[in-house]
Amino acid sequence: MNTIAIVLVVGLILFTIALSIFSRRFTRTTADFYLAGRKVGSFSNASAISGDYLSAASFLGVAGAVYASGLDGVWYAAGFAGGFMVVVLFIASALRRFGEYTVADFAFGRFGSNRIRLITVLAVLLTSLFYMAPQMFGAGTTWTVLVGKGIFGMDPYTSGVVVVTAIMAFYVGVGGMKGTTLNQIFQFWWLMFAMIMIVVFAFGNGFSYPKALADASKTPIVNTKSMTVADLTKPDAKTGKTPYDAAATIMTPAEMAKVDEAIAAGDTKAKVAVALPSKNKLHELRDQLFNEPGHRYNSFDQFSMVLALVLGTAGLPHILNRYYTNPSGAAARRSTFWVLVFIGTFYILAPIAGLAGIAFIRDYLANGGTIAAANVHGLLVKPDQIMPTLAEILGGQWLMGIVAAGAFAAMFSTIGGLLIAAASAVGHDVYEKYIDPNASERKRVIVGKSAVLFFSLLAMGIGLAIPKFGLDQAYPALIAMMVTWAFAVGGSAFVPMLLTGIWWKGTTERGATAGIFVGLFGAIGIILMNILQTLGVIGKEGIIGFLGSLTFPVLFTFPLSLLTIIIVSKLDGELPKNVDQIWMRIHGTANERHEKQHGLDKVGTMFAKK
Amino acid sequence: MGDATESTVSGVQVQHGDHIDTIESVDFVFRAQRKLSFTYGAIFFAVTLGIPASSVWWKGWYATPIWGGFTANYLFVSLLYYIFLWAMAWTYSKQADKLDLTLETMADEIAAKAGKEG
Repeated sequence: MNTIAIVLVVGLILFTIALSIFSRRFTRTTADFYLAGRKVGSFSNASAISGDYLSAASFLGVAGAVYASGLDGVWYAAGFAGGFMVVVLFIASALRRFGEYTVADFAFGRFGSNRIRLITVLAVLLTSLFYMAPQMFGAGTTWTVLVGKGIFGMDPYTSGVVVVTAIMAFYVGVGGMKGTTLNQIFQFWWLMFAMIMIVVFAFGNGFSYPKALADASKTPIVNTKSMTVADLTKPDAKTGKTPYDAAATIMTPAEMAKVDEAIAAGDTKAKVAVALPSKNKLHELRDQLFNEPGHRYNSFDQFSMVLALVLGTAGLPHILNRYYTNPSGAAARRSTFWVLVFIGTFYILAPIAGLAGIAFIRDYLANGGTIAAANVHGLLVKPDQIMPTLAEILGGQWLMGIVAAGAFAAMFSTIGGLLIAAASAVGHDVYEKYIDPNASERKRVIVGKSAVLFFSLLAMGIGLAIPKFGLDQAYPALIAMMVTWAFAVGGSAFVPMLLTGIWWKGTTERGATAGIFVGLFGAIGIILMNILQTLGVIGKEGIIGFLGSLTFPVLFTFPLSLLTIIIVSKLDGELPKNVDQIWMRIHGTANERHEKQHGLDKVGTMFAKK
Repeated sequence: MGDATESTVSGVQVQHGDHIDTIESVDFVFRAQRKLSFTYGAIFFAVTLGIPASSVWWKGWYATPIWGGFTANYLFVSLLYYIFLWAMAWTYSKQADKLDLTLETMADEIAAKAGKEG
């Protein structure tokens, strides 16, 4: 247990709670609770969006992906950043000008039916839950690595999930969007600071980017894996060779002696860490070098992965909701530019950390150093542990503490945004519109807070269920995988509707509804098939087997949804009667000019007293 | 929103205080905005999909070191791609702001014309 790390994490939690309590005094109306009074400036909003977006998958996962896979890991980071170009080019300013609270409001206002509002609410909730699952799993695993002990009789994983749920429910419920925004700004800059510190310490310890890259690329990438003795000694049906044979071509005699010792002990379920040769999935005849593509993605996935991330970003409801907090459409564009600068800088630094980890950890271990994380052949068995491990080697307990707090900050900021998005879908889109439209402001805010509590508990249940279903064993990089699923669901359900709704006047309500339905359930169906196939429930044959093998369903479900909208709209042809008015609301600027004339577009009053 | 709308002979207009949008002015700017967004979108997707295409088919791109261990592929994906995104987002935002200004000028002209006629 790292005392300094725990002190810093506890400090972060206390500061988070203090900010929420401070914000509570300024949260009286639903516009305050869900949208921070629409008074968030471009720079602040960009910081908050970046905090919303950079989850544990980015903070821990990108450096880990680069550490394990080289260039393909760097490509994964670039995909995350590229998504915001779709937002700035096609969605940001139009969504803000429409001037509502949520994506469901946009769907209702644009197409004028309760049916489309409700299916959009359903899509928001399902996307949010898909994105919350990896954050909760990350909470449990980070607690396990950092603290290593449970509390109140719970195991470490359960303790992490429960503690993070309790903190999140409290701070989002108390602080609303203002508290969440303030926290996300702070949390983003903390995790950026942690990433900068890692890189600064690496350069300070003699790291040279081009030289380290050349050194790492001299020999093929080595994979690390924790396997049971039974799997390690099981011959391949085609070649007759075992993973043990493959490991023996990489590992030193001293390292193999430890493996032999584990086999000799006779427990076939015992796990042993081994180093294995890698294969180039893209250019099969070439060695898999660090500075070349092909470790993770074959030629199809090189395209589909980046499209999944680029299109999926514009379909994340907690990100889209933030655009309503801008004071104008132009401010929404400026916010997105700053988001690209912030997260771009982050994603330039994260691969440096991943590459630095290779040399520093190998040399540290070779010189007799010891680390808490499992390792073999000078490499970490779990690449996601690269950030805290590298921090401890480069800067001792203090730097590790800063990184550990950064990991929790990444989880808090993302979960906070997701809870607000889910709460606004239920509290604003369902309760205020259908259950009690005449409810007082106070009652509406109470419903919003209750929804936060409800979804916190639901997220906790999902987080606790993941290991019970064996998903953590079935998928080696589960956090990254689940994040990709959320991108697929949001990208398939919302983005085609938003793009056509904003840019094609001929989109009809039936077309948009059908498109959301096909995109939403198409993506979820393929993801479920992938899970069932990975768990061995369904085979790899036939059309079901093919669909189940798709890692990135958005490549199929996005065009399918788009095509559905176009075909059904053409066949339907029934446009809203006030389509011209709607069009002017999306693309006109009279309201913004009016606000500008009267100074209503000014920011900086997010915490003004009423 | 507090908007007042009324039909006119030329179509529909939306009024917020002293400020008016007509369907003609909004449609004009919408077409210009669509051209701008889709042109930038085409460049963005061409570059973004050009990276994996080069990774698959252009050996000089993915297998030849050009600076230390950097291949052109690694250098672009780890650094230059972000500079490309920043430049795109910045120039696009500036041009979109100019279009907003065009709509503002058009709307003022329409309002002034309506004032003279009225």
